Amino acid sequence: MDFTFPKEYELFRRMVREFAENEVRPLAKKVDAEHRVPFETIKKAAKLGLMGVPFPRKYGGSGAGETGYCILMEELGKVCTSTATVIGAHTGIGAMAIYLDGTEEQKEKYLKPLASGEKIAAFALTEAQAGSDAAAIKTRAVRDGDYYVLNGSKCFITNGDIADIITVMAVTDPSLGARGGVTAFIVEKGFPGFSIGTLENKMGIRGSSTAELIFEDCRVPKENVLGQFGAGFITFMKTLDIGRASLAAACLGGAQAAMEGAMRWAAVRSQFGVPIAQKQSVHFAIADMATEIEALRSLVYRTAWLIDTGQPHVKEAAMCKVYGSEVASRCINRALQIFGGMGYSREFWVERAFRDARIAEIFEGTSEIQRIVIASNLFREMGLRISP
Amino acid sequence: MDLDYLQMLMGEEEVVVEEKGEGYRNIWVVAERAGDELVPVTLEMLNQARQLASTLGAYVMAVLLGGDEALAQELIYYGADKVFLCDDPALKDYALEPYAKALGDLFAEKMPEIVLFGAADVGSELAPRLARRLGTIVLTNCTGLTLDAAQRTLVCTMPAYGGEYSEVVAFSPEVHPQMVTVRPGAFGRPYRDEYRSAEVETVAVDLDGVQPRVKVLNVVAQVEREPVPLDKARIIVSAGRGMGDAEGFALVEKLAAALGGEVAGSRGAVDEGWIDEEKQVGMGGVTVRPDLYIACGISGAIQHYLGMEEAKFVVAVNADENAPILKVADVGIVGDAKEVIPAIIEALGA
Amino acid sequence: MRIIVPIRQILDPRGFTVSPRHERIFINREEYIINPNDKNALEVALSLKDAGEAEVIVIAGGQARLDDALREAMAMGADAAYLLTDEVLAKTDAAGVAEALARGIEKIGDFDLIVVGQETLDTADAQLGPWLAEYLGVAQVGGVRQASISDGVLRVRRNWGAGYAEVEVALPALLTVASGANKPRYPHGGRIMAAYREWQVITWNSEDLGLTAADLAPLTQGRGRAFPPERTLGERLTGSPQDVAAELVQQLRLRRII
Ligand SMILES: Cc1cc2nc3c(=O)[nH]c(=O)nc-3n(C[C@H](O)[C@H](O)[C@H](O)COP(=O)(O)OP(=O)(O)OC[C@H]3O[C@@H](n4cnc5c(N)ncnc54)[C@H](O)[C@@H]3O)c2cc1C
Ligand SMILES: Cc1cc2nc3c(=O)[nH]c(=O)nc-3n(C[C@H](O)[C@H](O)[C@H](O)COP(=O)(O)OP(=O)(O)OC[C@H]3O[C@@H](n4cnc5c(N)ncnc54)[C@H](O)[C@@H]3O)c2cc1C
Repeated sequence: MDFTFPKEYELFRRMVREFAENEVRPLAKKVDAEHRVPFETIKKAAKLGLMGVPFPRKYGGSGAGETGYCILMEELGKVCTSTATVIGAHTGIGAMAIYLDGTEEQKEKYLKPLASGEKIAAFALTEAQAGSDAAAIKTRAVRDGDYYVLNGSKCFITNGDIADIITVMAVTDPSLGARGGVTAFIVEKGFPGFSIGTLENKMGIRGSSTAELIFEDCRVPKENVLGQFGAGFITFMKTLDIGRASLAAACLGGAQAAMEGAMRWAAVRSQFGVPIAQKQSVHFAIADMATEIEALRSLVYRTAWLIDTGQPHVKEAAMCKVYGSEVASRCINRALQIFGGMGYSREFWVERAFRDARIAEIFEGTSEIQRIVIASNLFREMGLRISP
Repeated sequence: MDLDYLQMLMGEEEVVVEEKGEGYRNIWVVAERAGDELVPVTLEMLNQARQLASTLGAYVMAVLLGGDEALAQELIYYGADKVFLCDDPALKDYALEPYAKALGDLFAEKMPEIVLFGAADVGSELAPRLARRLGTIVLTNCTGLTLDAAQRTLVCTMPAYGGEYSEVVAFSPEVHPQMVTVRPGAFGRPYRDEYRSAEVETVAVDLDGVQPRVKVLNVVAQVEREPVPLDKARIIVSAGRGMGDAEGFALVEKLAAALGGEVAGSRGAVDEGWIDEEKQVGMGGVTVRPDLYIACGISGAIQHYLGMEEAKFVVAVNADENAPILKVADVGIVGDAKEVIPAIIEALGA
Repeated sequence: MRIIVPIRQILDPRGFTVSPRHERIFINREEYIINPNDKNALEVALSLKDAGEAEVIVIAGGQARLDDALREAMAMGADAAYLLTDEVLAKTDAAGVAEALARGIEKIGDFDLIVVGQETLDTADAQLGPWLAEYLGVAQVGGVRQASISDGVLRVRRNWGAGYAEVEVALPALLTVASGANKPRYPHGGRIMAAYREWQVITWNSEDLGLTAADLAPLTQGRGRAFPPERTLGERLTGSPQDVAAELVQQLRLRRII
C-alpha cells in the first residue's frame, strides 16, 4: 500500500495551486459581488487543459483521471467555490456523461471541444417537481422521423445559460418509468425550440450561473441519443456518482483554507492580553477541523483511486459527498466563529466561503439522499433484504 | 579634505600578503561607461579595489575602452594607479566582440591577479566570456569582497534569494585571474581627489578580423515605468484616512512616483473615495510583499497589517505617536504627513 | 530551427525561513523548483516556437533530481530533454556544470539558438550564458526581454541603461534573458501527465561527455553564509520634517532599498 502521490500529481498540484492563487483568487470577491461567471478564468483554464482534466489525452483531456480532477477541485475549492462549480458542472457531470456513455462519433464531435474547453457543458436533470425524486421528471421526447422532439423545462441547471452542449434527461416512454422509460440526449444550444428561462439569484456560488431551460418542440437529431435508448437513468446515476467525489474534493479545499485562515488570525488576534490562539477552545476547534479534514482527504482520494482503477465506488462516492459537504460547512462555520465579527463582514472572504459552502449539502443529491444511497448499498452488501 | 579620507590615507593598517601566483599581479578594474560618463559602479569598484590593493600590496589598474584622456583622468582621481586606455575608434560604441578581443589580449599579456567588472549591462556580458577565454571563472553579482590572506584569494559575498542571506565563496588558489562582477550600489563611492596623478598608457589593440555580430538598430534611453500589480510591486506608498483630503492623497501619489513605486491605500482611503477598492491593502483587499512599504496616515489596524506584514522594510508616517503602525514599522516618523511627505520628496531629489 | 535552453534548479524559497537571529536557514519543506529566470528563458524559446517552426530542447547538468525540472520544462512545451548526471557531475560546482552543459550542447549539436536565464535566484550566479557563448563561439546578447525571428535574423529587445535597445543578431546565437522579462506560461495539465508517463529524459554521464572527475573539480570553496542583521522594529526619527526626511532617505539608500 502506498499513500503517496506519484510525481506527476505533485507537479500537477503545484501548477493548479499557482493557477488558483494567481488567476482565480484575484477575481473571487469580484465575481461574487457582481454575480457573474469568471469567463476570463475559464479561458485561461482551457489553455492549460484544466477543462478536461479526467478525460484521456486522445479526447483533448489531460488524462489525469479522477485523482487529477480531485486535485484540481481541491485547489480551486480553497480560493473560489464559484469557479470550482462552473468547471465542476462542465467537466464532472456535463462532459462526463458523454465520456461515460457517448459513442466514438459523439466523443469526437462533443467531448473533444468540451475537454479542450472550447465549448462549455451543462447537465440537465432537475425539474420543478423532480428534485431528489429524479425519476419524476416530465420532460417528454417523442420520435419524429430522424429527430426527437423535446417538450418541458428544467430548473436549477448550473451553466445552463452559458453552455454550448447540454446533456438532458427526458422521458421517452412514460409507461416504463425511470427504468427503461428515460433517455439521455445531447442538446446543442442552437437547436430550434431550446431557450433559457429565469436565472436564479442565489445565496452563494454567485460566480456561477444557474438557469431554467425551456424546451418547446426542440428538435434533437436521433444520433444525439446518449447511451442506450431508455437507459438514461443509468447514465445520469453513473455520472453523478463520479461527480460526487470531485465535489467533495472542492469541499476539502474549502475546509482546509478556512482552517488555515482561522489559525493565522488566531495567532495575531489578541484579547485579554494574549493571542486567542492560546485559548484551549480555539485549539480544540482547530484539532477537530484538522482531524475531519484529514479523514475527508483519505476518503476523497481513496474513492478517486477506486474510480481510476475501475472498482465499485457508489457507496464511497456518496460518503464523500455527504461527509465532504458537511465537513466544509462545519469547518467554515467554526472558522467564522474564530474570526468573530470579522467573519461576518462582506469585506472578508470567510463570509463568502460560508454562503458558498452551503450548496454542497444540496445539489447533486442532498445529504439525505446520499445517506439513503449509503445505507441501501450497505444492506445489499450484507445481503439483508429490507423491502418485502 | 575630508577627515575620514585623511584617516583612510594615513591610518590604514597594511597587511601585505606574500605574492604567490605565477606572475599574476595587481587588481584590475574594467571601467564601464555610458557615452561620455563613467557608470557609478565603476567608481564603486575603484573604491573597493583600493582597499584590497593595500592588503595585497598591489596596484589598482583601470582599463578604459573607447573613452578619452579626460575620462581616464577621472579614473585616476577616483583611485586608479594607472589607466590603460584603448581609444581605438572601433571601441567607441560598445560591441561585444571587439571589447572582448581588446580585453582578452591585454589580460593575456599583463596577467592580472584580480579583475573587477561592474555587474551592469556591459560587465555582465563581458566578464564570463573573458573568463572562459582566459581559462578561468567569474563569481558574479558580488556585494562583498575580502581576502583570504593565507591562500591569497578573493572571498566573495553574493546575495542569495534577493538578499535574504548571502553565500560566501572563495576562489581556489589555482584560479587565475580571479574575476568577479560587482553589484551596483554594493560599495560606496570614493572621494574624487583632483590632486592624484598617475600614468595613462594608451594601448593599441589588434582588432583585425574582429567583427561585431550584433547590430544595434535603435536605443531608447528612458522607458515609461509600467504599473506593476500590487502583489508584485517592489515599492509601495500607501495612503490612509490620515491624509485628510484628496490633496493630501495627491502627495502620496507624488511620493510613489518619485520612488518609482505603486500607490495603494487602507480601507480608510478607499472609503474616502481617494483610491480604487482594488488597491486596498489588507484582509479585505490584497496581500503585498514589497521591499519597501511606506504607510502614510494609516493607523495600522490589524486588518490592514495582515495585508502588509510580509513587507521587508516598513516606514510609517503618523501624527499619533501611539498609532499601532509605528510599532510594526522599521522606521517611524511622528508628524504631519502633509509636511513630512513633501520633505521626503525633496530629500529624494537632492 | 533548434533552440536549446539550459535549466537549473533551486530550493523553493516558499519552503524555508531565514532566521538572521539564529544565523540559520530553517527548511520546512525541501522542494526544488526551476530557477525562475530559467523559466523566463524557456518562455522566450517557447514563444519563438509558437511563432514559427522550432524544436525546443532543454538540458540540465548536476544532480539526478534535475529530472523533475526537465519534465516540468517539457510540460511547459519543450520537445526533448537531456539530463547530464552521475556521481561526479552531482558534486561539481557551477563552473563544472557549465563545462558539462557546453559539452552536452555540442553533443546535441546543430543548434541555431541557445536561450539562458541571466542569473540564478539562489546564488546570483550570472556566469552561464556568456560563458557558454564563448565556449561555443557564438554571438551573444544579454539582458534580453523579447525576441522574434524573421528570415533567419533574430531581432531582440534588450535592457540598456534605464531604457532598452533593439538589436539584430545573426544565428547561431545565445541570448541571456533578464529576470522577470516575461510571465512564463504554466505547465499544461495533459503535458504534465505525458511528461512523466510517456516521454523520456535522455541521460548522459560524465564519460559520455568526455569529462573526468579532475575536469570537474570545483574551482571555488564554499565559506558558509552571511546573514543580514536582525530586524528591529519601532525605531523613531525625530526632528524637523526636513531633518527626518533627509535621515530617512539616507537610511533607505544605505540599505540599498532605493
Ligand atoms: C445552485 C444549484 C445548482 C444546481 N445545479 C444543477 C444542475 O446543474 N443540474 C441538475 O440537474 N440539477 C441541479 N440542481 C438541482 C439540485 O440537484 C436539486 O436542488 C437537489 O437534487 C434537491 O432537489 P430539490 O431542490 O427539488 O429538493 P427536494 O427534493 O424537494 O428536497 C427537499 C428536502 O427534502 C429532502 N428529501 C427529499 N426526498 C427525501 C427522502 N426520500 N428522504 C429524506 N429526505 C428527503 C431533501 O433531502 C431536502 O432536504 C442545482 C441546484 C442548485 C440550488
Ligand atoms: C472585515 C473587515 C475587513 C477589513 N479589511 C481591511 C483591509 O483590507 N484593509 C484595511 O486597510 N482595513 C481593513 N479593515 C478596516 C480596518 O479595521 C481599519 O478600519 C482601517 O484600516 C482604518 O483605515 P486608516 O488607517 O486609513 O484610518 P484610521 O484608522 O482612521 O487612521 C488614520 C490614521 O491617520 C493618522 N493621521 C491623522 N492625521 C494625520 C496627519 N495629518 N498626518 C499623519 N497621520 C495622520 C491618525 O493618527 C490615524 O492613525 C477591515 C475591517 C473589517 C471589519
